[in-house]
Amino acid sequence: AGYVLPSIHAWPPFFYQQPGAATQATQAEQWTRLILSYARHHRLFHLHPHPVHPPDPWADALANPRIKRSLKAPYLSSLLASLVAQGLAVYDPPKQLHSVLLYWRLPSEWAEILFDWASSTAQLNTILTFYEITNPPVPSPLVDLPLPLLRSAIAILAKSGRAQLIEGADGGGVRFFSPKPS
Amino acid sequence: MYRRGGAGIAAFDRHTQSTQSYSELSSSLTATQVASLQSQLATFRASLSRFASSHRSDIRRDPEFRRAFQQMCAAIGVDPLAGPRKGSWWAELLGLGDWQYELGVQVVGICVSTRERNGGIIEMRELLRLLTKLRGLSGIDGAITEDDVARSIKIMETLGAGYEIFQVGDKKMVRSVFKELDNDQAVVLEIAQSTNGRVDEKGVQSKTGWTVERVRVALDNMVFRDGLCWVDEDEQLGTVYWVPAVMIWYD
Repeated sequence: AGYVLPSIHAWPPFFYQQPGAATQATQAEQWTRLILSYARHHRLFHLHPHPVHPPDPWADALANPRIKRSLKAPYLSSLLASLVAQGLAVYDPPKQLHSVLLYWRLPSEWAEILFDWASSTAQLNTILTFYEITNPPVPSPLVDLPLPLLRSAIAILAKSGRAQLIEGADGGGVRFFSPKPS
Repeated sequence: MYRRGGAGIAAFDRHTQSTQSYSELSSSLTATQVASLQSQLATFRASLSRFASSHRSDIRRDPEFRRAFQQMCAAIGVDPLAGPRKGSWWAELLGLGDWQYELGVQVVGICVSTRERNGGIIEMRELLRLLTKLRGLSGIDGAITEDDVARSIKIMETLGAGYEIFQVGDKKMVRSVFKELDNDQAVVLEIAQSTNGRVDEKGVQSKTGWTVERVRVALDNMVFRDGLCWVDEDEQLGTVYWVPAVMIWYD
């Protein structure tokens, strides 16, 4: 099914960072919802404004040619900063402020999905490489999961003793542990 | 299907019904059990009445509080929106017909949820459209007319909730915030109605004959102080102001 943009996306002021405080807050909330739901629908993990290689998967969301409006860079930067501040995204690569990795699923949710997958595919207690996790023979929800997210998910599982990170020469791996009998 | 009628008739019906229910119940329970049940119900009802009374002004004034109260009622198995069959304490407490109260709650819900977008002012036509959509979705039958909404709002007016119907040009508007429109804003709103919500400084000036400063103050207040206006910079038209309160949204 196609992604349906909200009707506010066809309204010129939506693309202009509002000067009124209350209105700006509503506007930011709408953009946040749009960006995350668009990303989730299209399985886009990153938001790179102006990607090097066209086509731009974000073009439909961040602009509306019919009304000749698009999100300008300063406003988009401000929205990204807000997403990061809310814990809904992180700057990726680190130490820059233009592209983000989006958390349309939080790392904690990815952690559960990861563990459930390992468990249901009978791969607990074996060592899996990152590659094997993100490129499995049978499609899984973890296909093409970006490495930073995978690492975050593993770190969360490690805290509860359900996984162990294994660093390797070329890439890393992880061992998942079956829950100990209580 | 809820029956619309005067509170008097509804109250009489309810009393008859509850007497009947008690008499049916009592034939299968012992007298002691019935007495105990009645006394427990009376105690609970008294507590709920006390709470509603002491928080009456909050419930009337604050839609969020009212929603929270309703949620609490739902959690303990009391349905404040229930019709005569279940016995409506709200009708007795606040002197409202159930159907009317339910409609009032829906009106409040829509006004609160659109408030950020339109600054607390919504056109009657738009309110009606959203109400119909809402009631259609939840399967409650019965078409809503403007009169029904007006009556609901009249009741809320007396509850002092800040709800009011006022006229701008030939259109009816519903205000759901305490702050009233100042006169200049009302004029801008009326102009916006005739231009699908979009106005600009020059347009307002030419239609009103105001000074540039007066136009700017009115528009600035609407943007910054009252959240009634969104701003856009258009290549050809320059700074443009949009008033969501007079626009129809298709979502």
